[in-house]
Amino acid sequence: MKFFTAALVAGLSLGAGTAFAQQDTAPKGNIENGKKLFTANGCYQCHGTLGNGAPLTGPRLSNTQLPFDAFMMQLRSPANEMPPYEAKIVPDSAVADIYAYMQSLPASPNAKDLPLLTGMGVK
Amino acid sequence: MDKKTSDQAGLHRRGFLKGVAIASGSGLAVSAQAQTPPAAPAQTKAPLPTAAQTAAEHEAPAHVEALTTEKTGSDFMVDVCKTLNIDYMASCPGSTFRALQESFINYGQNKKPEWLTCLHEEVSVGMAHGYAKVAGKPMAVMMHGTVGVQHAAMAIYNAYCDRVPIIMFTASAGPVEDRRPGVEWFHSVQDGAATVRDFVKWDDYPWSLQSFAESTVRGYGLATAQPQSPILITADGKLQEMELDKHEESKLKIPKLTIGTQTVGDPAALKEAAKMLVAAENPVILVDRYARSQAGVDALVKLAELLQAPVVDSRSRMNMPTQHYLYQSPRGAALIAQADCILSLEPVDLFGQLNRVRDQIERTWRHTTKATTKIINITTHDLLVKANYQDFQRYSSADLQITADAEATMPYLIEAVQREIGERKSMFDPRGQKMRDAWKGFAARSHAEGALGWDSSPISSARMYAELWNQVKTEDWAFLTPNNYSGNWQHRLWPIEKHYQYIGGSGGSGVGYEPVAALGGALAHRDVGGRLPIAIIGDGNFNMAPHVMWTAAHHKIPFLAIIQNNRAYHQEVMHIQRMANRHNRGVENAVIGTTITDPNIDYAALAKGYGAVGIGPISDPKELGAAIKKGVEAVKAGNPVLIDVIMQPR
Repeated sequence: MKFFTAALVAGLSLGAGTAFAQQDTAPKGNIENGKKLFTANGCYQCHGTLGNGAPLTGPRLSNTQLPFDAFMMQLRSPANEMPPYEAKIVPDSAVADIYAYMQSLPASPNAKDLPLLTGMGVK
Repeated sequence: MDKKTSDQAGLHRRGFLKGVAIASGSGLAVSAQAQTPPAAPAQTKAPLPTAAQTAAEHEAPAHVEALTTEKTGSDFMVDVCKTLNIDYMASCPGSTFRALQESFINYGQNKKPEWLTCLHEEVSVGMAHGYAKVAGKPMAVMMHGTVGVQHAAMAIYNAYCDRVPIIMFTASAGPVEDRRPGVEWFHSVQDGAATVRDFVKWDDYPWSLQSFAESTVRGYGLATAQPQSPILITADGKLQEMELDKHEESKLKIPKLTIGTQTVGDPAALKEAAKMLVAAENPVILVDRYARSQAGVDALVKLAELLQAPVVDSRSRMNMPTQHYLYQSPRGAALIAQADCILSLEPVDLFGQLNRVRDQIERTWRHTTKATTKIINITTHDLLVKANYQDFQRYSSADLQITADAEATMPYLIEAVQREIGERKSMFDPRGQKMRDAWKGFAARSHAEGALGWDSSPISSARMYAELWNQVKTEDWAFLTPNNYSGNWQHRLWPIEKHYQYIGGSGGSGVGYEPVAALGGALAHRDVGGRLPIAIIGDGNFNMAPHVMWTAAHHKIPFLAIIQNNRAYHQEVMHIQRMANRHNRGVENAVIGTTITDPNIDYAALAKGYGAVGIGPISDPKELGAAIKKGVEAVKAGNPVLIDVIMQPR
């Protein structure tokens, strides 16, 4: 469990990208409902309207490769500063919908294709 | 009618009355003399004077009220202020200082200081806060008795917490028998500074003009001595408005202002610090409110290079160039965790830098350092600590505590480190190479994060900073705001090299700092010339003082204000959301009392209403570049400009 938690934190803090391979065991969620819940439950307040993440507040969630179980675990018993969302507030089925919505979002563009971004500052 | 005309016409009221008085007095004297016989030889029997003659000789002449005067106590107060080389006096009008205001703008010719019109006392003080950090010297503020100081209190607290000097004046209507009924009583006070005494360094209510001179000069010296802070002088109404005749004026002396040298660390302690730093395998330099000049920045770079030690900057000032390979803030937490010796320079919150407190029901905390890590702390913190307000933060022990001004001490610490290193100048090169390698990864990581939500609407903070950079990269730009809530992209990717390019934050986290400090900072930049001041202002912050745009337009203070419009007090949205989650009640209602919608505010229209240039709202990222370009051109033409950008919450 301790290892799992540490790995989960690492995964989240790295933008939920590479710590886990995506699992096939994720329940099938409703993307449209997930989109509504993502807003209604205030997820976007810390993670951005597209789950894009923001420095200091919340890591990227869009197109996450975090396994569903880990996603659920972080929601129910956050390992860091994130406020907890218990089943009474966000039922398991709603978590599945949100997860499906996050999975459905397109991957972010490659920074190398954004000269305006990579041109920021002096190299 | 000008004075000359008035005199020629014989209608100058005081002159007319004075003439009457002199004529009357002369008449009496002449009359008395005429009735007195020539001096008689001794023993000559003279007639006794009449009662009228006795009265004329011994009683005071009838009082004639003077309705005008040429010189007043307030003029002398202006003379005092002029010795201090203060460029500006910011003020929202108030009757308790009416004589002083008139003296500054007429007798003082509205120069040194120039009177600035603000629409709220919080703006007066806040702009002085921002000004001092850019100009490197204080400006003055005049506040109405009682109510003006109450308005200004939060801004004073911010400046105090940020250790910034401001020369502040307030006033009181004078002794009870002189006050008009009603308003003058409401605006009078026994102790004008009591409202804010907990967060000014010093205050005084001088009861004579000589005392005013000494207190004002003393106050300036105290305000600018490290740690710096606002001071407050109450200018008594009677002293302001009293006539000052030449005899009384000749007795007044304005003391010479002498700025003292700042406190420097004890040589023995610095030698010990140098030993600890040179012996460390993983030293880390933590900086916060350290540099107040480019010399301070350059000295820090020198020390870091001597030790090849990483610098972790908490950004209360511009301390370390972001393009230097030893600028290692992005991995500050890891460096602090691995450090065996930490040199902390003017920390605002040393405990917070070395510990973490978790914001859950159980407020657990833990050290972020190893138990064996040695802490060296060079700080002026202990030289200005008060009891009531808790800005001193939680107590944190150091192994070597050096009470001194860190910037003034730095050259001596460098000498001590050089002596300790001796001929072993290359001994830290491998550590430096590791830092270079780590630094190279920072930009790539920031680029990857910046790409997230690149085309999203509301616009991402990374996109906004990228579009902004593209328009100002060839300008001599400078940030006026801390930008903590928009991703700190300026510190992640912009080359901040000059001390004036970043001035830190509010100090006391009082909301409303951003627009008012931006106004003052922009004023200081304007006086230097050739710079492009930029403020990234949250919409909640801006709403505390939107009328700064009028003062900027009125006094021709150009700057670019970008409203980071997330239509909320977003930090509070997250706080209420956290509580709602904690209480298992759902977050739907977290928007009540925290969001700024329904109706949405048209900030561009607001700016235009105040006489500034207003652009936006911009919600499509593809339109942002052109909007910023237009704004930059308008700023360069001398205008204050506001661009309303609809942005992601963070």
